[in-house]
This record gives sequence, C-alpha cells and structure tokens, in this order.
Amino acid sequence: MADTVAVPPRQARRKVLPEGVFAWSLVAPAMLFIGIIVAWPLVETFRLSFTDAGLGGETYVGWSNYAELFHSGKFYDIVYRTFYWMFLSVSLKLVMGLIGASLLNAAVPGKALFRVLVMPPWVIPIDFGVIGWKWLYNGYFGFLSGILQRLGIIADPIALLAQKTSAFYAAIVTDVWVGTPMVTLFLLAAMQGVSRDLYEAAWVDGAGRWYRFRRITIPQIMPVIVSMALLSAIWTFNSFEIIWILTEGGPRGATTTLIIDTYKVAISSQRFGEGAARAVVIVGLLTAFSLLYLYFLNKVNKHYGAK
Amino acid sequence: MATLDLNNISKSFGNTRVLHDIDLAIRDKEFVVFVGPSGCGKSTLLRIIAGLEEASAGKIVIGGTDVSNAHPVDRGISMVFQSYALYPHLTVFENIAFPLRVQKLADADLRTRVGRAAEILQLTDKLDLKPGQLSGGQRQRVAIGRSIVRNPKVFLFDEPLSNLDAALRGDMRVELSQLHRSLDATMVYVTHDQVEAMTMADRIVVLNKGRIEQFGTPMELYHHPATKFVAGFIGQPNMNLLPATVKSVTSSGITAVLPGDAVVTLPVEPGTVRQGDQIEVGIRPEDLVAAKGLRATVQVMERLGGVSITYGVLPGGTRICAALPGDTPVREGDTIDLGVPVDAAHAFDQSGAVLRRRNAPQIAG
Repeated sequence: MADTVAVPPRQARRKVLPEGVFAWSLVAPAMLFIGIIVAWPLVETFRLSFTDAGLGGETYVGWSNYAELFHSGKFYDIVYRTFYWMFLSVSLKLVMGLIGASLLNAAVPGKALFRVLVMPPWVIPIDFGVIGWKWLYNGYFGFLSGILQRLGIIADPIALLAQKTSAFYAAIVTDVWVGTPMVTLFLLAAMQGVSRDLYEAAWVDGAGRWYRFRRITIPQIMPVIVSMALLSAIWTFNSFEIIWILTEGGPRGATTTLIIDTYKVAISSQRFGEGAARAVVIVGLLTAFSLLYLYFLNKVNKHYGAK
Repeated sequence: MATLDLNNISKSFGNTRVLHDIDLAIRDKEFVVFVGPSGCGKSTLLRIIAGLEEASAGKIVIGGTDVSNAHPVDRGISMVFQSYALYPHLTVFENIAFPLRVQKLADADLRTRVGRAAEILQLTDKLDLKPGQLSGGQRQRVAIGRSIVRNPKVFLFDEPLSNLDAALRGDMRVELSQLHRSLDATMVYVTHDQVEAMTMADRIVVLNKGRIEQFGTPMELYHHPATKFVAGFIGQPNMNLLPATVKSVTSSGITAVLPGDAVVTLPVEPGTVRQGDQIEVGIRPEDLVAAKGLRATVQVMERLGGVSITYGVLPGGTRICAALPGDTPVREGDTIDLGVPVDAAHAFDQSGAVLRRRNAPQIAG
C-alpha cells in the first residue's frame, strides 16, 4: 500500500538544493569551528611530537621523543604519581561531596544558607584561593604551622610545601578543597531528584536512615556519582594551576604530574617536540581511561534501571 | 486483622486547619473509601493513619491499641502510594521483599512470602524484571505485593488507580475488590473518583473541607444523602439541584414551586422549613421521566446507547440533566417535558441539610 503512494507533485516541482549539499552547508560552520579550535591543534601537536621543535626550528626525528620518554625511569614515576594523585583526590572529592550533599539535603533550618556557603572554593578565582592556601602552608608565617606549634605538636616551624611528602598531600588537600563544592552540588541536585515517595514507602516499611541512604539514595544517584567521578578524574588528571601555584611541581619533582612535566618541558624549557610527545601520551591515557569508564558507566546505568 | 478508630483527629498546617475533629469507627475486614474533592483532606487523613503526618490533636486506635505516637512500622499498617513508589533499581522480587529485608527475615521464609504474594497478584513470571519493564497495572500489583508481604492489620491505599487509563482502572477495581475478599483485611482507600468509591466500598466516608459529610454504605449515600454536598457528589451524572420556593407545608409534605412554575408536593419531613422559604429540590437524572412537569429546552444530547444523557435549560436558566432511554426521539433545540417522580426527589434546606424522605426505597446490599 505505502509504496504505491507517489510523491506529491507540488513538492516535486519546488526548486531546492540537493539534499546532500543542503545538509553539509548546515553542518559546515560547526565543522569549521571545531576544525580550527580542536582538530588542528591536536593534529599539530601530534606532528610536533615527531620533531625536535624548539626555538631554533624543527627537524623530523621519528619516534625518538617517544623512545626517550619510555626509556626514562623518571617518566614512569610521573605517570604513577599522576594516577595516584588522581585516584586519591577524586576519591576524597566524592566522599566529601557525598557527605556534604547528604548534610545539605537534610531538612534543617537555614539549609539554603549552607548551600551558598559551600560554594566559595569553586566560585572565587582559583589563583586567589590557592595563594591563600600557600600562605596557610608557609613555614615562616603560615597559619597551619603556627597552630601546630601552639598546640605543642611540633617544636619548630614546618614549611609544608618544602618537603616531598607533605607537599604532595598539601597539594591534594587544596585540590580537594577546590573540587569538592561542584561534586557536592551535583550530588545534591541528584539527591533532590529522588522521589519523596520512595523514602516514605521505605519509612513506612521500617527502614532506618542509614538503610534508606544505602538502599535508595546511593543506587538512585549512582549514575550521577559515576559521571561526576569521570569528569572529576579528567579535570584532576589535568589539574595544573593548583600545583603550579603551590609548588611548581617541586620540591624535587614530588608534585610533578604529567601535565606539569609537559608544561615544564614544552614551555619552560622550550623543547616543543618533547613536550608534544608528552601531550600525546596524556591524550592516549585519558582516552583509554575514559573508554574504560564509559563502558563501566553503561553497566552501572543498566544495573540501576536508568532508562 | 483489626478495627481502626479515629477519635477527634484534627490537623493544621500553620494557621490553616485542614481536618476538623474527625471521628470514625472502621470495622474489622471492612473496605472503607475516603472520597471527596481535591483539598478536602482525605489524603492527609490517610497519611495521619499511616504515621507519615502527625495529627495536631486526636487519637488513632488500630486493633484496640493506641498508635497515635507509634512509628509507622509499629502501627501494623502498610501503604500503597499513588506513584506506586517502586524502587527502580530493584527487581520486582526485591521490591516486594523490601519490607522483609528491612526486618532481616530469614531467606527461606522471605522467599515463601514473596512467592505467595506474587502468586496472589499473578506476578510469578515477572519477579526478575525491573519496574521499568512493567505495564502500569503490573507496577500497581507490585506495589500491592509489597504491602501484602508484611501481613498488615490495615491496608492503606492512596489514589492507587489514578495513574492508570480508564479501561485498566476498571479491571483493577475488580481485582482490588477480589483481593479484599481473599485477604479478608481491613482496607482504607482514598480516591476522588466517586465511581471507585461506589463500586468498591463497603462504606464510604465523604469528606468536604476537612469534615466528614457522611459515612455510610454506597446505597445509603445514594438514597439518603445527608447533605446537598453528598447528593451532588455521589451518583453519575450528578444530581440536579433545582431552586424552589415553598408554597405550603402540609401533613403530606412540602409543596414547592420549581423553575417554570411547576408545582410539586414532596413527601418529606418539613423540619424547620416554612412557607415562603427557599429550598433546593434534588432530582437524579435517572429518576426524571418523559411526562408533564418541567419544560426544558434541550441543548446537548449524549447518546451512550442504552441511555441518552440529555442536558437542557429550564425557564429562568437553571440547567437540568436527564438520563432518558437510549432511543428517545429528541434533538438538540427541542422542548421536552420532564416529569418529577416525587417519591425519588430530595429536598435540602438553606443550610444544605436534607429533609427526611418518607417514602425512600429499601436499601439493597
């Protein structure tokens, strides 16, 4: 029946661009835009990674930048440190965010005020906040060192950013401080989207607060937790300004993550080719990580009944 | 199974009083429906019984135990929500088992109880599915299953059918009535749909503005509405309420002048009504017959087959509705005569209270 219906003559007569041309002309501006600001720099980075580009011009060197990278023990230290930095920081952000969102979601008077009060770390320019932390960590006039001395925990001033271990964890604390509010607010929004009826039904059935949190809240917001974990992981992996302002990757490389290393090589030392090779490695690692992650996200969504 | 008594239940939200001194005695194994327009307080009353809201004053007694201050789970009730409140991430089995998991029931026992509930509700082959894969009616049954496994003393239903389409609602009404019979349980059911109330209830509570207008069996409410509100609310299509002037009060009843100067003598107890008073005469559309009496101009005919619902106006502009036989040869614009059967008519005084009828029919059921 359907295939005997002819094209209405009126439509056939109308003069139009061929469908393909019309479609491409609609997409073209966006493609041009993406091409210029995303694709070209990416391709250019990829090209540079096979050269010894610096201030004095460039020559093709093949895989030697990569070979050098993969044969240096220092590079593996940096990759390991970057993932450790990422997992620790993201885990803390998620845990703190979950706790914060639960508290903000509780029916307490003045909760609107608290919701506003969690935002400053995220809202103020990142450099101001981090400079503030730098002062807190300072060995001469730092607040933290002062407190510890007053309490009698340490005898002499301590410069938290001057020692390898303490510098790394101090940077983590600051990174978590900056990153937690956004996680908190996203999780809060997800929690508020959970139907009240579910809690009431569970309450009528005798489920306590913790039981409801574990068996309703967590599963219901799991897709958001997982998405936030991915976004937060990528941002944390590439988090640059916090470390740079606090320590510039030091002391003795203790806070040098892949992105810091790339910057130091490519910009500070002006070895663009070697820097580009590092950037390509970052793209590769993050892509692999994201694919793994999306696969996982898909499973989670299926399991928790998201449509 | 148990009785449910409400003594002087009041509820205010801020300065707004939504329930006024509700007194109600629900018998063991009774199916009671709370019905009323939106905002009448019926859902609030149900939530107070469930323990989801606290009454501002009054006492709730279930099976002889005062549960006014008890936690919902200790009241021996279970509730089915309008939205079903199923856990989307859990299977049907786990949804039904939820209250038992909370109680930390042994696994074998849990399986038997969920299995039995699933059998009653014909969900046995759906136990591994997620709620998202079920139809509206099946979800409804899962929600009921979750309340069955707890063996509550009283089942509470909050507009459980309002999310279903009309056909399914009809089926579920029958299923719920059967369920009530097979479980032999006390059930309290909230709805705004008078058809649900009439078809399922043993007794109906009609609520209006936070007060009980009347509590009685469906046919009591139909034949003996205590107030104008109940008269207008129960029955489909709605009862006609015609303004009338009392011409005389005699031993045989009240003689009143209806719109269009039709004079009827209604066999009712006059109460405080005097000659010259304004009253309202209530006549159900299905009681009107083609005979001399009221003259109406037909505006709209709804031919349903067996009956033709005829909407018209009386002289003076009062609207009237009559359920005439299906093949009545009447068209829009025609003028028809509608006879008033005086024994079936109701009269309401100015406060809206009914004047007792002398020749009311025997109540069935």
